[in-house]
Amino acid sequence: MAEFSLQFSSTPLADTSAFRLLELPPELCKIVEEGLNSPAGPSLVIKGNPDEDAVLCTADKTYTIRSVVLSNSVLVATPDSSTKSQGDADAVVIRDQLKEILELAPSLPRLRRLDALLKDAEYNEGHEDEDGRMSEDEDSAPVLTYAEARETLQASDIELDRGLRDRRVLILGGYLRRLAPSYLTTILELLLTNLVSLSLSHEAASVAELCSALDGHDVSRDVCRQVMAWFGEVADGKWKVNVAAAVKEVGLGILRAYKDDPIAQSELLAKWCSTVGDTFESTVSLDLLAGNYLVQTDTLKDPPVTALAYFPSSQLPVDPAARFTDLFLTRPRWKADEIVPFLADIVVDSKERDKLLLKYTRTITNTEGIWYTARAKYNG
Amino acid sequence: MIIPIHASNVGASTSQHTFPPQLAQFGSEEVILIELQGSLEAEGDKQGQTVGKLRIDDATKKSTLRIGHHLLEGKLVNLPKPLAVLHRRPSDTAADGDTSMNDADEPDSKRPHAGWDVVVIVRRKMVFSKRPMPMMDRVATMVSMESKMGEGGK
Repeated sequence: MAEFSLQFSSTPLADTSAFRLLELPPELCKIVEEGLNSPAGPSLVIKGNPDEDAVLCTADKTYTIRSVVLSNSVLVATPDSSTKSQGDADAVVIRDQLKEILELAPSLPRLRRLDALLKDAEYNEGHEDEDGRMSEDEDSAPVLTYAEARETLQASDIELDRGLRDRRVLILGGYLRRLAPSYLTTILELLLTNLVSLSLSHEAASVAELCSALDGHDVSRDVCRQVMAWFGEVADGKWKVNVAAAVKEVGLGILRAYKDDPIAQSELLAKWCSTVGDTFESTVSLDLLAGNYLVQTDTLKDPPVTALAYFPSSQLPVDPAARFTDLFLTRPRWKADEIVPFLADIVVDSKERDKLLLKYTRTITNTEGIWYTARAKYNG
Repeated sequence: MIIPIHASNVGASTSQHTFPPQLAQFGSEEVILIELQGSLEAEGDKQGQTVGKLRIDDATKKSTLRIGHHLLEGKLVNLPKPLAVLHRRPSDTAADGDTSMNDADEPDSKRPHAGWDVVVIVRRKMVFSKRPMPMMDRVATMVSMESKMGEGGK
């Protein structure tokens, strides 16, 4: 029978509320455990402004932190740090009394604020020559540095970098600047045509050669290099093109003009193919543009024409309820394979997506298959 | 705002003080978690005061906690998910100390450099879930017997 003396802390001021219990999901537990056994710990940070819910970021993942209140209280007890022993009993010191634990749930990086922050920092044609004196130009003065973005946005470093790439944000002189979509399409078209005209392999194209070729079209080398990195891998001065990504971006560039006035599917594909050139024609596929267009059938024409309208999911609200409202305002009912691409960017996995569909939609099955309609007709 | 959480063996477990194995089996060598129904309340200055006696039966692995005349029976419970015990890094402004109202969701803005250390990962806890049983020492028994007898005599 071992006996210990349970004591209150002798330094209550320093100890009270100095402890927290954080529930670890298995994958995070592994990371932390490895960290505890090595001198270099993993990068774990809590991020958030005082008015936001805090998130925990590892190197590549984001978790939301939720405080769960316990009806019981948990005492955090440690061995007695003072060497004096009380009689023969070992002392167990209560350092803190807790009423809550922190739960973690995987979350998507919260990068939506980036759009607002970068609204005035667009980089467009004609900006090429002002690299050196950008800060003097007040109208288009870049507002956000990379370091600031890292500080304010609730996303892990890898997710932030990916988010910046997906949003086509350039880092010029430490400042973040969004590349204008039309200009991006121009650059990409130039890159693809130059690949062919310089007869470079798209598996390993010389970066230097392409840069100097585009220099002739007034595209800054820095911009050119970053664009190449977005659409492939740059290593040892060679560019391995991610053909699908590049072709998709060109397709988006074409589609973007048809927001209110849909374009016939065949016409779009023809335009797209001719823009990317013979070499990459085989990659062209409507699947690449999933989540960016709506299909409409123009029945007035004979035979009926399938037309596509630009409808990017990236411009829909992030909040699930608002997104579903928007989607059902656009269309009263959706087929499963039609609606799925428009939910992909707000859910972590398909399980969560199905949960959202259950919560916000009603399913109707008829001869044409399953349709999703709005659950609540009257919002408010 | 960024608040770092440090999880490395540098600086985290500098104390050589560890629990003996009888206690460590209820959590870890550095920290054990004791769960109580309700909470411990004490009047007056409780700094360094003794709360009670914690006994562990080596054979049955049962723990008991005796606080005053109350005896609690505890058991070992495995946590469904491991818990990391975080400890706030002492900072220069630690003297003001009164941050108990802060939620973890609202990190204290007055301490921009506050960080947290992962002390240890705990997978078990000691739970005292039952009501306390009244317990009488021999002396206490005598006294109460006497008083009872006294009452009976009236």
